[in-house]
Amino acid sequence: MSEIILKTEKLSKTYEMGKRKIPALHELNLQVVKGEFIAIMGSSGSGKTTLLNMLGCLDKPTSGKIILDQTDVASLHEKKLCEIRRNKIGFVFQTFNLLPYLSALENVELIMECSKKPKAERKIKARELLQMVGLSGREDHRPNRLSAGEQQRVAIARALANDPAIVLADEPTGNLDTENKYEIVRLLGRLNINQGTTIVMVTHDSHMASHTERILLLNDGKITKERQGLHQVKKKLMCPYCGSKIQPSDVRCPSCRKRL
Amino acid sequence: MGVITRAVRNISRRKTRTLLVVVALAFSMAIMVSIPAGITANQLAMQQTTENYGKLTADMQQTINETMKLITCEYPYVDPAIFPGATSYYFSETDLNYIASITGVKDIVPVLQYDNIEMQSVSTEGGRQMMQGGLVYRIKGVDLNASLLINYLPGNITEGRNLQKGESSAVVIGKELKEYFHAGLGDTVNIKGKSFTVVGIHELTGMDPRNIYMSLTDAQEILNLTGKVNTVDVYAEDSSLVGDITTTIKAAYPYLVVTGYQQRLQQLNQMQGISDRTLKNAQSALNQTQMTAMQEIILAIIATSLIVLFTMFYAVRERTKEIGILKAIGFSNWNVMSQFILEGVFISILAGLAGIAIGTVATPVLSSLLLPHISSYAESGVLPIGGGTIPIVDQGSITATPDLQVAMFMFGVVVLLGAIGSLYPAWRASRTRPVEALKYE
Repeated sequence: MSEIILKTEKLSKTYEMGKRKIPALHELNLQVVKGEFIAIMGSSGSGKTTLLNMLGCLDKPTSGKIILDQTDVASLHEKKLCEIRRNKIGFVFQTFNLLPYLSALENVELIMECSKKPKAERKIKARELLQMVGLSGREDHRPNRLSAGEQQRVAIARALANDPAIVLADEPTGNLDTENKYEIVRLLGRLNINQGTTIVMVTHDSHMASHTERILLLNDGKITKERQGLHQVKKKLMCPYCGSKIQPSDVRCPSCRKRL
Repeated sequence: MGVITRAVRNISRRKTRTLLVVVALAFSMAIMVSIPAGITANQLAMQQTTENYGKLTADMQQTINETMKLITCEYPYVDPAIFPGATSYYFSETDLNYIASITGVKDIVPVLQYDNIEMQSVSTEGGRQMMQGGLVYRIKGVDLNASLLINYLPGNITEGRNLQKGESSAVVIGKELKEYFHAGLGDTVNIKGKSFTVVGIHELTGMDPRNIYMSLTDAQEILNLTGKVNTVDVYAEDSSLVGDITTTIKAAYPYLVVTGYQQRLQQLNQMQGISDRTLKNAQSALNQTQMTAMQEIILAIIATSLIVLFTMFYAVRERTKEIGILKAIGFSNWNVMSQFILEGVFISILAGLAGIAIGTVATPVLSSLLLPHISSYAESGVLPIGGGTIPIVDQGSITATPDLQVAMFMFGVVVLLGAIGSLYPAWRASRTRPVEALKYE
């Protein structure tokens, strides 16, 4: 049985606007297995960002449990949550959210500073991460001198800096052009396959979602549908239609010629 | 790349804001540095004024003591060249013997006094020319064998020496007369056709700076008044006898001008009153100055704190999103707080350095502008005795210079204010909920 890294039990969140109560999530149950790459899809207002904020310990649920790496984070105090965010979670935002006055390298290094890693080690690790996301030679550039796609790649490198248990990506392709969208999703897929990084990505773009392993459809605060994505196929390197061997880069099955 | 680098980058990134805050803080700092310097200058002025008055009062006291037992009897000398036909009166040998024999008289010093007056053309306010008599010098021929001679001769010899017993053809002249005679110590001067050696220079003030002291016989010789004296200084055995002696002499010689110590005492008391009042006023001015200074320093500190507080509040508001990012990626409250406090401290350090620079240059002007001067509280005017002016020392004559220790202390205060002023905004920043902060644009 695969290890469950993230689990929610009857997770509910209700916003109070004066006297009106607006339910955002309703008794939501979710399980993420270690090494999974899943997408949470849903229309605007379906509660996907709320869910991601709960999972990322940025907001507290009204009721229910969030078990991250065997810890119920819903009941934790802010100080503990801070440690969890630093050590267990890597966040990727739609708007990249890099610090403008720091270089790419410094942005990646930033969070390692809080976990008291030696300076030299931090630098080496940050360089490695930037190399991994394909930004070698751009380490000293500040965000305003990087393209949107490059900025998001720095943000992904930052999210990986403390070897998190899970990477949460909130519409990571939302602010990018088509080419860069695929670049980023492919990068996340590569990280998932090569590093075994668990990734939960929120998106409203079904194209992007289809490149993940499992797609959850969120509607009115509940998961209403679940289906497999293309990534599953790439990961197992086996055609889902005829069962013959495929390569991760294949667009069509070499045997049955069906689109993967 | 630590929290220090981040703080420095943030400060340098917002150049205009940093500059404005630094200038405002530096100005406060300059005020804080220059006020104590101003107080020190004022205190110094006060101290010097007090010393001056002390010296003056001591001088007056000495004069009073010296003249307590003295009765001056004089027939005014009238120059026949200027007032033809006027009669000059002189004491005869018999007169001197009589005065010396009055009960209570210890001794007498006979003097022949002569005023050399020259007519000078003076233009009046109406534009008319007028002839006016001006005192060029006053000869004081003193009996150099008198027992109380030392009481009569000038006390403040600045060059050379005083006249000695039995000396002849020697003079002690006033400093002002050096120019008139074109002669200094040891030179020979011609007075009324006779040559004298200048053996001493005195520095009397008031009515006496142009006095020439010589032996009585020399004076009688050059003035052709052999055996005659027109002034007698009478010394009583005790100051209580002065009144009786004065009455006796007045009764015997109705034309004689007799001056006792009472008259002088009256003048001296008046003088002392003025100096007492002036000192009191100056002291109260100083106290008030210190009060004002304290208020100004407190105001400067409040202003500084507010500037830091508002700036940091503004900085926190402006950077809410950044705080949200930092917290979302795992920064602890303390990590966030330390950065904001450090920024506050760095800005304050910059401001402190600028403040010391401004303070060093502007202290004299600032302290003069911010603090009242002692002189404005003092009575001005000419002293009734001695003719000198009131020796008040104005703050303006003492340049206020900032004290290094005070500057260092104030520097510490400003940096501390920077830390404290940014403490609350930094604390608030650290408490921001990341999900709220991230929404902020």
